[in-house]
Amino acid sequence: MTAPQSFDPAVFRTEPPTLLAVRCPECGVTSFPRRELCPYCTAELVEVEATPLSPQGVVYSYTVVRQAPEGVATPYVLAYVDLPEEELRLLSRLVGFGDMTPDLIGSPVRLVTAPMDDPEDDRLRYAFEATAQGASA
Amino acid sequence: MRRVHVVGAGMHRFGKFPPQVTLEVLGAHAATAAMADAGVAPADIDAVYVGHVFGGPVAGQRIAMRVGLSGKPISNHENYCSSGATALREAWIAVGAGICDVALVVGVEKMTDRIKGGVRPDPGDLDAAMGFIFAAGHALSARRYMRDHGASREEIAMVAVKNHAHSVHNPYAQYQKPISLEQVVNARPIADPLGLYDCSPISDGAAAVVIASAEGMRRLSLTGPAPAVAACGLVSGTVLRGLGDINEEDVSARAGQAAYTFAGIGPEDIDVVEMHDCFTIAEIVRLEGLGLLPRGEGARLTMAGHTSLGGPLPVNPSGGLLSRGHPVGATGTAQICELYWQLTGRAGGRQVENARAGLAYCKGGSVSGTDGASVTTVIMTA
Repeated sequence: MTAPQSFDPAVFRTEPPTLLAVRCPECGVTSFPRRELCPYCTAELVEVEATPLSPQGVVYSYTVVRQAPEGVATPYVLAYVDLPEEELRLLSRLVGFGDMTPDLIGSPVRLVTAPMDDPEDDRLRYAFEATAQGASA
Repeated sequence: MRRVHVVGAGMHRFGKFPPQVTLEVLGAHAATAAMADAGVAPADIDAVYVGHVFGGPVAGQRIAMRVGLSGKPISNHENYCSSGATALREAWIAVGAGICDVALVVGVEKMTDRIKGGVRPDPGDLDAAMGFIFAAGHALSARRYMRDHGASREEIAMVAVKNHAHSVHNPYAQYQKPISLEQVVNARPIADPLGLYDCSPISDGAAAVVIASAEGMRRLSLTGPAPAVAACGLVSGTVLRGLGDINEEDVSARAGQAAYTFAGIGPEDIDVVEMHDCFTIAEIVRLEGLGLLPRGEGARLTMAGHTSLGGPLPVNPSGGLLSRGHPVGATGTAQICELYWQLTGRAGGRQVENARAGLAYCKGGSVSGTDGASVTTVIMTA
């Protein structure tokens, strides 16, 4: 058995689900996704090894998308997820939030794998889902 | 830099048109209307600048050859929704620098036959892979604005009500009917909390202006009122760091500063604004970013009529993107047409009284991890 393939191995490892960033050796700031130069101090990052990000996050803002371009099934939930440890904010799908009635701002979430929009595409991308504490909110 | 003036404007009405109303037909219509309004012939135009996104390679040349402009320097400019304004900026630089005296700027887009369900970033962008569409980005902004500033859903929806009320007086607008607050709030949801009427439509259309130096105006004996293009700011988004406010609008603040500094006037001097209200919430946070409204008060002030025609700072007398329509490459140039008409007293039922200085703002595109792709700020003075 081979591990399911990531939609972008430079950004995301599937087992265990891990987001890959780069930490600047000069100024110490973590960038996601990785870039050729540090956006803050312009140090070279091409040769710098990837740094795994914390899989724990907090919802900063979210929306239920109910209309999307062709090929993308709706509805789905998009959110800005804050990773407090790295002081990084990233855009991601949220999964497992059911009917979405409660206000999700501030909910704790953790990184998981999720299928692509195209059912023919068996690669995996990332998403965040409610932790036990978030699900009961 | 030499002073640059707008000497004529023309548009093809924005809307949804059948396939035979092609990009070339739309662009040619606006180009000839602008030249006729300026009182110039194709032979008088030194160079042509065309903004579009979905028009394909050399759309500008395809339009120009239909209206007697072939053989001239023609360039195509893409900065997503600020493409039309970026084309203006390049023309303004060339005329200001003395490279040419008279230039035609065309913004054009044919969308309704090729775009379905909303526009999105380039598929290679990481946010696009997550399912980011622009409506979702603004919904995330709206949700956070409501939380941070205690704004109500109705206050945000009021932007659409106001802009539709304005467009009743704009013969070039896609929609020329008023809309009620109830209609906006109860419309089909697109990306919560935003509904259908919080979103600008997918549209076809074209807009064009003729700009000239004083020398060019003398050569062509142009003596009509010719508002000056006092500044064309252009900035790109910066890589975001940390966990700050997504509605900080640093990119808008920097774009505003670029224009205010060049023009030598400040936000307090602006009488009328054409704002890139691609979504209701966007008008609010961008006005705040530009320093035209106090931070966190934009929604409340919109509800209070501050930005309506007759209010202290009329915003989008044209109807804005929400009701004039949003053929993306044409929008930036349509804003310049509107400011030209406002500053020359030709805006009819939507005229802002004693308008002496106007600002037009466009924001185009998104790049994952940054606060935008391109923002343009044009200041015009009577």
